[in-house]
Amino acid sequence: MVKKKDDQYIQERTNSILDVIMSYARLEFNVQTEVSANNDVFDSIAAGVNMLGEELENSVVTIKEKESLLKEVHHRVKNNLQIIASLMNLQAANSTDPVFLELIRECKNRIDSMSIIHEMLYQSKDLSRINSTAYIHHLILGLESSFCMSNVKVDFQLDIDHGIILEADRMIPIGLILNEAISNSYKYAFPNREGVIEISFRMIDDFYVLLVKDNGIGLPEDYDVNKNSSLGLQLIATLAEQLDAKLLWLRRDGLGFEFRFQ
Amino acid sequence: MKIPATAHELKCYHTWMGVDGIGRTKVKKNAVVTLEDARENSALVNSFFVDEKFPLMIDSRGIQSISREARAFFTANGRDTNTIAFAILIDSAVSRVVGNFFLGINKPAVPTKLFLNEKDALQWLRNL
Repeated sequence: MVKKKDDQYIQERTNSILDVIMSYARLEFNVQTEVSANNDVFDSIAAGVNMLGEELENSVVTIKEKESLLKEVHHRVKNNLQIIASLMNLQAANSTDPVFLELIRECKNRIDSMSIIHEMLYQSKDLSRINSTAYIHHLILGLESSFCMSNVKVDFQLDIDHGIILEADRMIPIGLILNEAISNSYKYAFPNREGVIEISFRMIDDFYVLLVKDNGIGLPEDYDVNKNSSLGLQLIATLAEQLDAKLLWLRRDGLGFEFRFQ
Repeated sequence: MKIPATAHELKCYHTWMGVDGIGRTKVKKNAVVTLEDARENSALVNSFFVDEKFPLMIDSRGIQSISREARAFFTANGRDTNTIAFAILIDSAVSRVVGNFFLGINKPAVPTKLFLNEKDALQWLRNL
């Protein structure tokens, strides 16, 4: 009879403690398990579980506060970048100089490529990493809109691994590279006002391989990229270094770039 | 730990200064210690000597629970205290867990040690 009573006590106390542990595992901290006046082993476990719950709750609150702050930072960075872009638009509105307007557009597109990243960061649950597929789609939409007045019809052919998710630090140079390469194609590759830009981003043998290539007129055969590069092409080479990527110039049937990095 | 007649009685504690210059505080049986209790006891302990620092023996064997805020307060980090060391008596199932948890998580600002008996605790405090 005594044994049965003991078994029931053990069962009840164990279940009560287990319920609270399960609540904490679900990050629900509004419960505590009873610490009775018996001062037995179950009470000691209960006291420990309760204190652990309090510490966990405090850590979760701290993490949430940090996440919230980080979101706010990304939001502000994105807003500030957009303010800079808007100021550029205002300056451009007062000018009819096509060279100046082109410079403004180039700068604005570069800013936009970074702004998109901060916008995606504060809107996502993951505050440090970016989904490459969503980002590249977003970037292309912005560039299509920016070049809509140029009347160049571009068919984008994308082959992007949906699983590639990278930190913002690495996605920013990738975005800037794509921005430069695509802008370059829009401006110089298609004198017939139409063409194809192929973008591929995949994992091959433990390497990320980013390829961006057009089927346009390409560079003249005697064009020395080391001597004559435009700012855009120089930027591409610099950004490749920043990614620690091996850069391959593709000069057959148009112009393209392949970046291989880990 | 025998409570002398001169001890001050608080909601969760009996607290007094020993003739040997070691402060003593004994947690009442089944006490649920909150931040308010911690502050009240700390103010009392600090009032024993204004210009002199002293060690403190804490008999926590009666404790039922202590809130996170109270635990953090007892670390003495960032608050005025006249204490130079804590010896904590933990010879009960719950007080053992509470004492070890306190030391493991809260890292007190003054030397702190857990003891299973009063004699060893006093000896450690006297040899500081």
